[in-house]
Amino acid sequence: MAPDRNGLRRPNDPPVLILTSLAEGPKHGHALAKDIEDFAGVVLGPGALYGAITRLEERGLIEPLGAEDRRRPYRITAAGSAALAEAVRDMRRIADVGTSRLGLIAGRLA
Amino acid sequence: MSARALDGSRLLKWYPSRWRDRYGEELMALMEDVLDGRPPSRRLRLSMAWAGLRERGRETGLLGNMAPAAERARAGSLLVLCAWSAFVVAGSSFAKITEHFGQAVPARAQALSNGSFDTVYVVAIIGGLLVLSGACAAVPAFLRFLRAGGWPSIRGHVLRAAVSTVAATVAMAGLVGLAHTLSPAQRNGGLVYHPVVWYYLLAIIPTALLVALALALWTVAAVAVTRRLVLARPVLFAEAVLAVALSVAMFVITAATAVWWGAIASSAPWFLGAQSGSAASAFTPNLVGTMALMSVACAVATCGVVRVARSWRDLRLG
Repeated sequence: MAPDRNGLRRPNDPPVLILTSLAEGPKHGHALAKDIEDFAGVVLGPGALYGAITRLEERGLIEPLGAEDRRRPYRITAAGSAALAEAVRDMRRIADVGTSRLGLIAGRLA
Repeated sequence: MSARALDGSRLLKWYPSRWRDRYGEELMALMEDVLDGRPPSRRLRLSMAWAGLRERGRETGLLGNMAPAAERARAGSLLVLCAWSAFVVAGSSFAKITEHFGQAVPARAQALSNGSFDTVYVVAIIGGLLVLSGACAAVPAFLRFLRAGGWPSIRGHVLRAAVSTVAATVAMAGLVGLAHTLSPAQRNGGLVYHPVVWYYLLAIIPTALLVALALALWTVAAVAVTRRLVLARPVLFAEAVLAVALSVAMFVITAATAVWWGAIASSAPWFLGAQSGSAASAFTPNLVGTMALMSVACAVATCGVVRVARSWRDLRLG
């Protein structure tokens, strides 16, 4: 996801995006890239996608399944689910604080 | 193989072979899905090259924290060695620039220029000894590696370096032979009126490039060999300490070179002008290039030292 017009970035960390996508079920590279583009608007290039897949597999957060016609699907592991849950909690905490404080600002302006 | 598949396999060359063996096929399949028959864009090529180089950096222990701490410490030390090789090229250029500078400097200004030059000279020798010490520390592991049948895996690197050394030596011998037929003024680019002077000046750059190539290939061979050695922790520690000392030496040499430059620029700018064959100026291209290369080498060495320090902390904690 590109920076918005104010230069602010939303959560676009490739490992988080990949784990979020795989939380739905196993996917291979192209399906992952398309799903991430659909739900987050982030276009992950092949190099960035496989760099993140490599790191996630090294850390045991995802695991490969049997290859299907050169395309190898990956699935999230229990450790990956726990890591994603923690990341989502962190993001939600920030989102909640931001929402709450924006509400305060809106209240003052009104 | 189609032209597209051929192109894809070329893009994969940026990645280390172990990574290609594991992920290459599926990455190729992904690229085919993404491209859908179109040729890869320049942006895609660049991103693939960048991603591949990052994987190489990770595999060698230069990037990331996935490689064992010992590998990261070794990678940091080898990065300092690479920086030293670049420094040797810059030092050779400095040695050429400073030829006969003592005759050009007024007696009242000689203390600073001579002192800084001597500092460069002495610290360069110390740096060379540090590198030699590092090589000696790795000799037992190297012999074990050879006895275990490791030669075929490094043969290509060593042979390429040896051939380039022979070529550089022949070129140097020719250049030195040519130089002996010229006066000091002609050797430094002055009084260009004889064809032999032109031959000499034209031969300097290719010869310098050959010498630099030989040095680079020996450095590559040293890195390739060292990465394959099984080094005990005390040896790794010794290499790390030597790498830090070598980095300090590079900074001292760079500082002394800057002092020498300042001293000559203020007391005998005509000497610098004569070196570049132009009017007297403190900013001659060869000296600016030399200082730039030294500065880059210092920056690279600093990255290596930081890597060594962080890895060593993890190694102790581990």
